[in-house]
Amino acid sequence: MRKLLLAIMMVLLMVPSAFAAKEMRLLIWSEYMPEDFLTDFQKDTGIKVRVEYYESMEEMVAKLQAGGKNQYDVVVPSDYIIPAMIKLNLLKELDHSKLPNLKNLEATFINPAWDDGNKYTIAYQWGTLGMMYRKDKLKDFDGSWSVMFDPAKRQGAFIFVDSIREMLGCAQCAMGMDVNTTQKTELKKLLDTMLEAKRSKYFAGFDVGTGGRSKVVAGTAVAAIVYNGDALRAVADNPDTCAFVNPKEGTIGWVDNMSIPIGAPNPDMAYTFINWVLEPKVGAKLSNWTQYATPNEAAYPYITPEDFKNPAIYPEKAYMSKIQFIQDLGKENKMYDQIWTMVKTR
Amino acid sequence: MTNEQQNDTRIWHGELTTRSALRRRGLLQVSPGLFWILIFLTVPALALIALSFATRGGYGEIEWVFTLENFSRLAGYGMFGWSPDYLIILARSLWVAFVTTTICTALAFPLAFYIARKPKTTRYVWLTMVIIPFWTNLVIRTYAWQLVLSPDLPIAKFAAVLGLIPAGSPLYPSEFAVYLGMISAFLPFVVLPLYSSVEKLDWSLVEAAFDLYSNRRRVFMQAILPQTLPGLSVGAILTFVPAMGMFLIPDFLGGAKYMLVGNLIQQQFGKSRDWPFGAAVSLALMVLTLIGLFVFRRKGEKMEVI
Amino acid sequence: MRSQRKPLLVPAMALGTLAFLYIPLMAVASFSVNDSRFGLTWQGFTWKWYLELFRNEQVLEAVGNTLFLGLVSTVIATVVGTALALGLNRFPWSRKTSAFFEFNLYMPVITPEIVFAGALVIAFASLRYFSSAFEPGMLNMIIGHVTFQVAFVALVVRSRLAAFNNEIEEASHDLYASSWYTLRKVILPMLTPGIVSGAMLAFTLSLDDFIISFFTAGPTSVTLPLYIYAEVHRGITPKIHALSTVGLLVTIVLVIASQKISNSFNEKERDDA
Repeated sequence: MRKLLLAIMMVLLMVPSAFAAKEMRLLIWSEYMPEDFLTDFQKDTGIKVRVEYYESMEEMVAKLQAGGKNQYDVVVPSDYIIPAMIKLNLLKELDHSKLPNLKNLEATFINPAWDDGNKYTIAYQWGTLGMMYRKDKLKDFDGSWSVMFDPAKRQGAFIFVDSIREMLGCAQCAMGMDVNTTQKTELKKLLDTMLEAKRSKYFAGFDVGTGGRSKVVAGTAVAAIVYNGDALRAVADNPDTCAFVNPKEGTIGWVDNMSIPIGAPNPDMAYTFINWVLEPKVGAKLSNWTQYATPNEAAYPYITPEDFKNPAIYPEKAYMSKIQFIQDLGKENKMYDQIWTMVKTR
Repeated sequence: MTNEQQNDTRIWHGELTTRSALRRRGLLQVSPGLFWILIFLTVPALALIALSFATRGGYGEIEWVFTLENFSRLAGYGMFGWSPDYLIILARSLWVAFVTTTICTALAFPLAFYIARKPKTTRYVWLTMVIIPFWTNLVIRTYAWQLVLSPDLPIAKFAAVLGLIPAGSPLYPSEFAVYLGMISAFLPFVVLPLYSSVEKLDWSLVEAAFDLYSNRRRVFMQAILPQTLPGLSVGAILTFVPAMGMFLIPDFLGGAKYMLVGNLIQQQFGKSRDWPFGAAVSLALMVLTLIGLFVFRRKGEKMEVI
Repeated sequence: MRSQRKPLLVPAMALGTLAFLYIPLMAVASFSVNDSRFGLTWQGFTWKWYLELFRNEQVLEAVGNTLFLGLVSTVIATVVGTALALGLNRFPWSRKTSAFFEFNLYMPVITPEIVFAGALVIAFASLRYFSSAFEPGMLNMIIGHVTFQVAFVALVVRSRLAAFNNEIEEASHDLYASSWYTLRKVILPMLTPGIVSGAMLAFTLSLDDFIISFFTAGPTSVTLPLYIYAEVHRGITPKIHALSTVGLLVTIVLVIASQKISNSFNEKERDDA
């Protein structure tokens, strides 16, 4: 009996060591790359990638703060959380000499507002949050947030996105409020709106973007807040039942960026990866699959032409002014955190 | 004892040795386990107490600045005036744990008796049937309820027909779903200890009680319950304590509609990155749990006296 | 006698309760062979979800991690816990020392798991100042698991020790056996059923654990419960049903095996007595 146990232990001791081989560790949103993206990377560069997923910004930062900053090589945070990550010393300063393809980025994304001089981050994809819905179940849908926030206009089960600033921001857009306000009176209105929606019998829970999308496809919900690319891919698979729209009152826009955590075990591999993603054909393949907008100007010639005409991916100029971007609020961030806790607990 | 007598050689379990030799050996044996628990649980738990008085920085770091804000928030004094949200969650968790324990106990009795009356050969088959869900991972057992309560299956459809939920909706997230999950999760925890008491029941006492009392309830209270108390109290504690801090079941089946204190704490140590507040809530949970345990023991003692 | 009084109520409730316990598991098992990606209408029998599992690297890794964690932590906890029980029982500690020991022994049992996990998070955050070995990962998970397993093993072994027959031990010493020899050849063998049930309990607790693993896992040490949890949040697919059914089957095998083992111990005891 003892010998058997010993033998089992020997075998199992080998399991973890098999994974000690050199590989790049990527921490990224789920469903953010084509299926063969990483095998392509391995073919082009010989580097194997181990990937792990998160479903929200706060989850990612919590992971890094709890020790992850020394365990991952590349992480893909959204714009608004980057100033906080910089202040928390979670990111490595980038050596631009290792990133020759940086020049491929479109002008807007060089020297962005959240990271002057691209010291820490390189744009990956950008997009919006919007509403994915069942067009076969919603009657007279006018593309407005009211189907979720107006008691008179609710028609069926709806799902909110489980992300603090982004969800609260959507509610603020629905109310025509500045998503970065710190006025207590405004925030009280925000809290009341969220609580009213949550208490409605049609409210079906908070879910990550892909979770809400699955529920709309399965029919357990008629509307959910989903990232535009995730939604568009599902709509393409289910064109008769599902549709996506950026609500007419306005919505949240975001820019995701690649960055290297400060204690990355394999920074050189990380630079190779980031530079590779900035290649024109790679960038195009990425966006054509994810259905998000690419920040890579050199990739434009290879993007599917229909995508450029799709307002869900590349919104029209008139709509752009209605897209709000979340900003880091320093000490005031905790106001939103507290509102979120209140929303979830009341 | 005088000092000389203290270290005499003596016979201890048949062995000829001295007190100091015994102590050395005792300490050697006890130390690894003791220090393990001390370092990784007891001391950090004490650190939790200290942490609950610290401040959360603007970006989720811990600032070791003394503050009572975490406790005042817990008591309800938040951004927009007083609102007893967190107190409600604590009370709700206490209530859910209590109801779960009670219902599990009520359901456990028939099952334990049923198994105990089976012939010895088939008994272990029935026990195995109870143990299997018990050993099955909680994540699996809980998400399975999501499946059972989904809109395509009869239970949710029935509720929709009754008008309790909009048509085509699942029966979760909801309070009902959480209770279902909790009860099915903790049933084996009560059945198994209770069964071990029921198995050793002295039926002659029960028969005597039947002769003495015409009321079935009195027979139960006087003859059966006191004998099963040891198993019952183990089962109740094994249910109540984990139920108080349960996080997975409300997470899967309650969503944000029915939040319990376990979710609140998990949120603070996770996404909200507010460790000081999480520590304060944890402390409140510990205190409530200890109070609950105390009440159970007291009631148990009182019943033995009867 | 009594059976005349409540003929049907007790069996009905008992069987109903048992059915209640099994409904979710049966549902999962049935839908794991349903040939339908979304929705739950029956669309034909298929094994494909199971086949997908075996090709999935992440699943296989999660399974490996779960087993590795369970075995290693159980071995450590059994050794340490048994020693703890022996040390507690075999020396007349003073009242205060004894109370101190008891307090620590019961800490893992009375602490709600979420508070336990929070304490571990703090412990490892502090230890990280001294060594980067305490990054979230397998080491942390093992340490966390052992911490609660040790208490349970010690409690089980101790209750067995209390029912001990001292005479054989005294006889061993009378025959000039050293205490170490007595320990190895007399005490431990007689204690084996208790040690084994303690070990089995520890193993189950580890396999079943979710929340402690949740707070201590690192990128390469995802276990099965954590994997399922993440997948459920992303959207339930039949793949999860298949994986869960496999988990259920493994559990059934383990339960039956453990019953056989304890039955054989009980028989041995009866033979020895």
